[in-house]
Parts: sequence; C-alpha cells; structure tokens
Amino acid sequence: MKSIVLYTEQIEKRFGGVRALRDGSIEVRSGEVLALVGSNGSGKSTLTKVITGVLSSDGGTIFYHDEPVTYNNPMAAQKAGIMAVYQELSLIPSLTVAQNIWLANEPKTKFGSIDDKTMNEETAQLLTLFEGTFQSSLHPEAYVLNLPPDERQIVEILKAYSRKPDVLILDEATASLDSKQVNCLFDLVQLLKSENKGLVFVSHRMDEIFRIADRAVILRNGKTVGEVVISQSDEDEIVNMMVGSTAGLSRVFSNKMDFSDKETILRVGNLENDRLTGVSFDIKQGELVGIGGLRGQGQSSLLHTLFGNDQYTGTITLFDEELDFDHPKDAMNHDIALIPGDRATEGLLLLRSIFENLHLPNWAKYSRPLLRMKRAYSDAGEVSDQLKLVMESLDSPVSNLSGGNAQKVVIGKWLLRTPKLLLLDDPTKGVDVGTKSEFYKLLGKLQQSGTTILFYSSDEQELLDLCERVLVMQDGNVKADLSGEQLTEANLVFYSMGATNNNHHNEESAHA
Amino acid sequence: MNDNNIQTKKKFRISPPATALLIALVLFLLSGFLPNGFNDWASAIRQGMNILRLASFIAIIGAGQTLVIISGSEGIDLSAGSLVSVGALLTYILINGNNDLILPVLLLVIVTGGLVGLLNGLGIMYLKISPFVMTLGMAGVVQGAVILVTKGYYDGKVADIMTQIIARDLLPGIPGMIFVWIIIGVLMTLLLERTKYGKQLFAIGVNRMTARLSGVRVTRMVVLTYVIAGAMAAFAGFLLVGYTQNAGPNLGNQYLFPSIIAVAIGGTQMSGGKGSYFGTIAGAIVIQLITSLLTTMQLPQALQQIIFGSMLLGILVVYGRDKSLRD
Amino acid sequence: MPERNKSKITQWWRKLNVRHSLGLPLILLVLTTVLYFILQPNITRSGTVSRLLTSNFRTWLPVILVTIGQAIVILGGGLDLSNGSIVSVGNVILALTVTTPDEPGKNILMVVVVIAFGLVAGLLNGFFTAYLGLQPVIITFASSFVYSGLALLLLPSPGGDIPREYTSVYRSTQFLGIPLALIIIVLVVLIWTFFRQRKYGRFLFAVGGNDKAAYTTGVPVTWMKISTYVISGLLASLAAISYSLLTGSGLSSSGDDMTLASITGSVLGGISMSGGAGSVIGAVFGGVILGNIRNIISTLKLDSWWRTLVNALLIVLVLAGPGFINLIRGKKK
Repeated sequence: MKSIVLYTEQIEKRFGGVRALRDGSIEVRSGEVLALVGSNGSGKSTLTKVITGVLSSDGGTIFYHDEPVTYNNPMAAQKAGIMAVYQELSLIPSLTVAQNIWLANEPKTKFGSIDDKTMNEETAQLLTLFEGTFQSSLHPEAYVLNLPPDERQIVEILKAYSRKPDVLILDEATASLDSKQVNCLFDLVQLLKSENKGLVFVSHRMDEIFRIADRAVILRNGKTVGEVVISQSDEDEIVNMMVGSTAGLSRVFSNKMDFSDKETILRVGNLENDRLTGVSFDIKQGELVGIGGLRGQGQSSLLHTLFGNDQYTGTITLFDEELDFDHPKDAMNHDIALIPGDRATEGLLLLRSIFENLHLPNWAKYSRPLLRMKRAYSDAGEVSDQLKLVMESLDSPVSNLSGGNAQKVVIGKWLLRTPKLLLLDDPTKGVDVGTKSEFYKLLGKLQQSGTTILFYSSDEQELLDLCERVLVMQDGNVKADLSGEQLTEANLVFYSMGATNNNHHNEESAHA
Repeated sequence: MNDNNIQTKKKFRISPPATALLIALVLFLLSGFLPNGFNDWASAIRQGMNILRLASFIAIIGAGQTLVIISGSEGIDLSAGSLVSVGALLTYILINGNNDLILPVLLLVIVTGGLVGLLNGLGIMYLKISPFVMTLGMAGVVQGAVILVTKGYYDGKVADIMTQIIARDLLPGIPGMIFVWIIIGVLMTLLLERTKYGKQLFAIGVNRMTARLSGVRVTRMVVLTYVIAGAMAAFAGFLLVGYTQNAGPNLGNQYLFPSIIAVAIGGTQMSGGKGSYFGTIAGAIVIQLITSLLTTMQLPQALQQIIFGSMLLGILVVYGRDKSLRD
Repeated sequence: MPERNKSKITQWWRKLNVRHSLGLPLILLVLTTVLYFILQPNITRSGTVSRLLTSNFRTWLPVILVTIGQAIVILGGGLDLSNGSIVSVGNVILALTVTTPDEPGKNILMVVVVIAFGLVAGLLNGFFTAYLGLQPVIITFASSFVYSGLALLLLPSPGGDIPREYTSVYRSTQFLGIPLALIIIVLVVLIWTFFRQRKYGRFLFAVGGNDKAAYTTGVPVTWMKISTYVISGLLASLAAISYSLLTGSGLSSSGDDMTLASITGSVLGGISMSGGAGSVIGAVFGGVILGNIRNIISTLKLDSWWRTLVNALLIVLVLAGPGFINLIRGKKK
C-alpha cells in the first residue's frame, strides 16, 4: 500500500443555505491515481476547490504530508505543490503558449530579465509530451487566443505539470480532448505515478476512470459513501454507489399520458455550435420531457439555442415552421419562454422590485402608451398568489427574497405570458423542498392545460418524479432517450457517464 | 437573495433625493445669513426663485444625462455641453427675432441633437467605443463644426415670446422657466416610471443579459437613449438662449460637469439601473446653491470645480460599493 | 542567400505586427513622416531636417510622455482620464514658482514637488480603482475635475515667466543634430524596455489580458494596476515640466487637450483599448503620427476656422478605426 500524501477529513462547505459538502473525505496516495466520482450535487468539484485554496471550507481538515494545512488562496496551495487543472481555463488569451505556461514562474537570465529563449525551448520540450496530437498551430510562440479548446486544455495541463506538483488534480480535464490527446495525458499521468506523485482524477467518463485510476472514491450528496479498488470493481458497483440503494422509484405522476396520437410540435435536427455536437430529437404537443446528464454537457446551450440566444447550425422546426431566431424576442413572439439557470445573472434584476421583475417581458401588454399600473399590479398580485410568493410587498427589492421565492419570481415572469413551449434550465437548483413541491404541482397544471415543457434538471430524482421521458446528454449530444421501463435512476447515471458495460471486474480493459 | 449574505440594507434610510433636498434647504437658509442675503420673506422668495431658475438649466441638461447614466455600462454623455451651445446658436441665429420661426427651428434643433446622439449610440454599440471616449470625441467634432459655421461671427436675436416665457416672470413672482421645468419634470418622470421604455431602461442598466433573455432589444434601447439625450441637450440650449439673450460656441461647456454631478447627487447610481429624475432636480438645486454661495462669498469659481469633483469622488466611494449586488 | 534573408524579414515583420501590433503604426509613421517632409520647402538644404526635428519634437514631447503613460495604464486594463489635468497643475506650479535662475535650489525643489504631485495623484487613482474596485473611467474623470479646478485656482489667468536660461536649454539643445526632446523619449523608452523584459512587463500584459486568470496564477494584480496609474501620474509630471520649459509660461488649461490626445495616440500606436495588447513604442509612434498629421493639416493652409473641426474628426476617426476593422472582420466570418 502506497503512502498517503494528502488526505481530507470530513470537509464541509456551505453556500448560503445549501450544503454542497458535508463529509468530504478522501485519501490520495503517492504514485497512485484516485478517481473522484459522483453525479450532480455530489460535491466533488467543491472538494477539489477547497483543497486547492480556491474556496474556504466551513469544517473539516486537510492533511498534507501528515500536517494539517489551510490554504487561503490558490497561490498558497500552488507554493505547497498542489496544482489543479480545471475545465474553466486560467489562461491569458493575449499571451503566448510559453508565456502562459511560465507565468509567475519564468526562467531568468543573468541580468534578471526573462529568459525568453529558455522559456520557449522548455515549452517545446513540454509540448513533445503531446506530440502528434495537435496541429502545427500549437507551438511555444503561438497566441492562446488563436488556439482551439483542445489545444488550450493541453496548454493548461502543461502549465500545471511544469510547476512540478506533488499532488496534481485533474478536474474534468479531458472534457475538450480527443482520444489521442487523452492517451498522451494518460502517459503523463503514468510518468507522474512513476515519480511517486499523488494524482486525483475527477471525471464523468466511466471508460477513462477504468483506464487510468487505481482507486475510486464515490461521493453522493456531499458525503463520501465508499471507496473501491478499480481492478476489483466494475461499472455497476460504482453506479450503484453513486445512486444509492433507492434505484428505480415510482413517480409522482402515475397518470400515464399517451402521446402516440399527439402532434410533433418541436423538431430539432443536428444542432451544432460551440457546445453542441449534433443534437436531434422530437417533442410532441403537451409532453413534459426532461433533459438529464451531468452539468455542463450542453444542456444550457441547447435551451438557450431554442430560445434564440445562441447561434447554431442545424434546424429547429416549431409547429411545422422552420425557425430562424435572432434574438430572444423572436422566440417570445412564438410563445416560447425560457427560465434560465443562473437567476442572479440571467433571471433577475437584483436592484429592482419584485413587481418590475415580474413584468419585464410583458410591459408592451400594458402600454397605452402610458403603463396601466393598476392592471399591472393586479396581474402581478394574481401571479404571486398563484405561486404563493412570500414577500413584504410587490415593491420590495427582489434581492430581499429567499432563494425559493426569488425563483418563483423568475417563473412568474413567464407565467403571465402563457407560453406554448416552456424551457427550463435547472429551475429548482438551490430551492427549498416546500417550494419544489409547489413547483411540481405548477408544472403538472401547465402540462394539463396544453403547455409543452422541456426541462433540464441536475437532480436525477426530480427527473424521475416528473418526466415520462428523459433525454440524457453528454459531451454536447443526446446519448439516450429514456422512457417507460428504461427510465430508472441507474440508467440515468449510467448514460450520463458514457458507460457502455464494457468494464467488468476480472476482465481486462479493452483500451490502452 | 439573503442566503448569499449580500448586504441589502442601504446605508441611508432617507432616499438620496430627499437627502439632497434637505441639504439644499440648509444651504439656502445659510445663504440667508450672508451679507447679501435675504432679510424678509419677499426677498427670500425672490432669491429662491432665481436659484430655481438657474438650476433649471442644469436640470434640463441633466435630463438626458440621467437617461444615459441609468442605461448602465458606464453610460455618460460628454457631448451634452457642446450640443447646448449648438442648440443655443441655431436658435439665436435662425430665429433672429422672428416669432413665426420658433417651432421650425425648435424642430431643427431637436433633430440636430438627435443626430449627434445617434452617432454616439452607434459608435458605442457597434464600434464598441466606450461612452466616455465616444461622446468626448463627438463633443470636439460638434464644437469644431460650430466654430466653422459661425466663423466667430454670428448675428441673431432672441424671439420675444421666448424671452417672455423664459427670462421673465409668467405669473407674478414666478419665472416662466419654472413652468417649463415643471412640464419637463413631469414628462421625464412619466417617461422613466410609466412607460415601457423607462422600465426597459432600468433593466438594461441593471443587467443586460437578463434584459435580453426577457426580450429587451438592448442595442436599440441604448442607441435610442443617446438619441434622446442628444435631442434634450440641444433643446436645453434652445431654452438657455432665451435666458442669456446671447449665444456663443462655449455657452454650454460650463453646464456639462454640473449636469453630471447633479445626477450623482440625486442618487442615480453611476453604474446604472437605479435613479430618478426627481433626484437630478434635487441635485441641480444643490449644485446651483453651492455655486451661488461661492459667488456671494466671492470665492473663485475654480473652487467650485474642486468641490464638485471631490463630491463626485465621495459619492462614488460611498455608493459605488453596490457593485456586489450585480456581479 | 536572398532566400534566407527574405524569410528572416517576413519573420521580423510578422513578429512586429502580431506580437507588438506595430505593423500598421509603423506604416502610418513612415507615410506621414514622408508626406510631411515632402510638404516642407527647402528640405534639401542642410540643417533643415535637424531644425525641423528639433522644433517638432520639443513641441511633441509633453504629449508623447502622457501617451506613454496612458498606454501603460491601458495595457493594464484601465484608463486614465486625469493625466491632462495633472499636467495643468504641474505647469501652473512651475510657472508661478520658477521665476528666476538665481535660486536653483528652490527651482529644483519645485520640480520635485511637481513630480511628487504626479505620483500622489496616480496613487490616489490607483487606490480608488484597483483597491476599492471602482470604475476607472468615472474615478479618473472626477479626479480630472478636481485637478483642473486646482490649476485654475492657482493660476486664474495665463502668466508666469520661466527664465530663458532654462527654456532655451530645452528648446535648442542638440547632440549630433538630435534634439534633447527626442533623446529624452529614447531614454524613457529604454527604461521601459528594461522593465518590460522582466517580470513587471509580463505581469502587466497578463493583468490586462485577463486579470482573473492572472490572479489565479499568482500575479499580484492589485499592485500591478496601482503601479500603472502611478507611472501615468509620473509621466504627466514630466510632461508638465517639459511643457513649461517649452512655452516658458503657465496656462491653467494647458493639459486639457492632452488626455484625449494620449488616448488617440495610443490607439494609433496599436494599443488595444481592452487591454493586454500593444507596445509602448507604438505609443511613441502614435504621438509622432498625430503630430505629423496635425502639421500636414496646417501646411495645407486650411482656413483656420476648419482647424478645430478637422482635428476633432481626426480623433473620432482614429478612435472608430479598430471598431470598424472588427466589424468588417466579424461580417467576413
């Protein structure tokens, strides 16, 4: 058994009222790769950010080389030898590859100036680690600005590697890489293993986990629930731990609606943009379709594209009319509504009142041309009653509301317009249980009055409770269209990890 | 949302415009104790009216400024000063004392201001030039055009009706300008609080992404706002010449900074999304009182600039922290 | 042999253009200089070039100095709208106090005061913007009003008389035909190049390119930003000194046009307004290009009534330039 270089004991982290981590405990061993596995809301990203000093913890301890440590900022962790490669890049686009890799770590000449020549040479050396997997555009003096996402990720990886870390955390670092590049990354990982460094590999791809990891620790709902040795485990065991013993629940709506004779109202063909890689599906009138999968797989982009807020190639046909939206207003004119994912930055005007927030999309309706305020107030009152909004008055600032109530305002905005197609981007994230159930009832009512609903949720349970059909997305594409008996929590997680049942214990992995 | 521990309580319990008015009242009373001050009700009212009349110009120039500042993203209109000069000159030269020409020239003045505003708006939204730099550049162009056209020599006359309404008292003791101001004040307040435009303007000042996702055509709104601001500045010049009875290429420059500070004092956030025209009115009165006080105390005008600049810095430091709410 | 030289030249050109954004500025510099010289009478007579260089550079030095300062602030992701007013204050102080050559100690002290003022003003700007996190545009705008008010207060009407002994040194000193002003520019550029090649330069571009990423990587972002404003203030003081030596008198509005000129010069010199890209040498080019164009315009003997408008249009066109280029590039995609 290799020695432990870093371990965490019961790390806790709260964001406002939400506990993202309640017991984050992992052990990283020198010369080993530990996979950190968990579905949405498991807390795995939060844990890595606490270890690297990006976030502060609310409880628990980190032990590094057997000493308890606290890192108040990323620099402190880096100095100690803990590096991370994230998916959100930390590169300066206007600097070159070499300049980025060596930023704040530059080699100096005798005179104290930066030794560009050595820097470029060393960078070229580093790039050979990924030889043959990138275009000639990637060289030490290329500007990061001009590089495609996969090459930027390579630079990001080399940047962390060049600082000779003792512990290297790869947080979804393979997301933008193609298979050849992943091979090179894994060779690098093996190199670090042979140098007795500790490695943490956070990934949503089952095949990669089984290729490269020695052990896997599974988090669920912010708690560590188990650890396995990869060579003695298989996909099913891991999926079961991710999901808990409650696989395959009954759903809240047992009214099975039959859609076979309903019209297809929405047809999406081969949607592509910087986040989507060819999405196609149909939706029938009145369906309540869920979108699943781990966060950041293109779900938001899909919804924004349908709402006219993102560019795309491909076709979108609504009510037999091929659409060409330029701006969300076009979508609104076609009775489409979007409830965005980040209410603070996309859904609300924090400085304004509840009243103004509720009516933001609707003022034209009250314009005569002076606004008919009485009517507007009464309509706003009706909607807030309907939503059971807990507030001081319609004129109080929306920033005073609790998370659940603020989300009601975001939803209320669109209810006033009676949309025909309602798009929702993780609407119950950070919302309390009481508000959630009210929200579910609301969705049910809307569905019964004929609204078609497309609804991304990062909460698998919620998808199972509400939807008869779920499209599971991974890496910008729909990997599975689950309904009926197929729609189980295990399957949801299975397909969002890209699992293919190729990895069983006692069988050799087919790749390398 | 309180679960993020964002400070939602304001530091001041009373609203900023009310604070400004309070300060104005105090200053006014103070000025009464000075040697040239008023010693009975009649002269107090007369002085008060005069202050209001002078303040009205700052406030009307500040109207357009209020709109662009509310629109957010560092919105500001530095071409307002030169547009005031243009409006005044066009009025002075073209009307030339002829009452019949008032309306056509007014139309021309507004269109001219609007065109300049259009250029500002287009440059800001399509060429991505920062509002400060764009409007400052246009200010120079407008100024240069004025110099070219007038070649330093201009001849004109203010129409009687205008003089009557603006410079003299319409009702006994109350200058006509006050009525003009009240009308503009009502219109501006209606625009901001009771029209779709106003609601959308506040929205784009707070968060342009949310506005867009709620169907607001942000680019059109911003360009329109600068058009209105330009038109209003030129209109202010049209009015101003009725008071000064003369026009010159530099007439409007002295009003530019006061108009901006008036907006700031009135509680409109310089980062956008919050504010009122009522605040600008209060701010204009405060500005004018300070100016008058300094003149009465025979302090140099330069001190006024230093005071106003420092006030703006102070307001920014105190109010500017609200950034946390929007990030 | 010619083959190898050709590729070396293209390499050099590409480096100049892409890395330092100096391609277009260099072309403009050459064009405008050539055009300017062509329009001068008696250009072939000996001493004319030297005479022209001297008279031009001594006039341009103040603007070029503030343009360099502005470029550094913009590179760091900010903007300094108070540099012109700092020049005004410095000029006014010197005009009022440096009145006789018989008190060299006092004169030197006043120069130190002016420099200190610039440094402190820059520090305040940096404190409000970088440390408190307020918007640079509105903060430096407000400061500019305080300082120009101060200048007006100190010197309500033009006056002051700086001794000829000093001004003539500034105006006519030459080394091998090269005017003192140009030497000072070269010196400043050399000092900057020294720092640019070290961590400071790298950090500056990192902060201007993406300050959040720079922070995560360990760059001291706040200090860097504050330092840019301090440098701008310092250069504004130096500009004030050279301006005073140039004109020999004080004018409270002396710096008024310099702020916009410093921004225009920076844009002409290839500095990107969003930060993180460009070169300080470009700022120098920009200042010279602007000066050349202004000279060319005056030799065209336009009606003097046209002058203000043409200069203003020039500025707007330059400022709109990058935006237009981006717009066209965007459409091509």
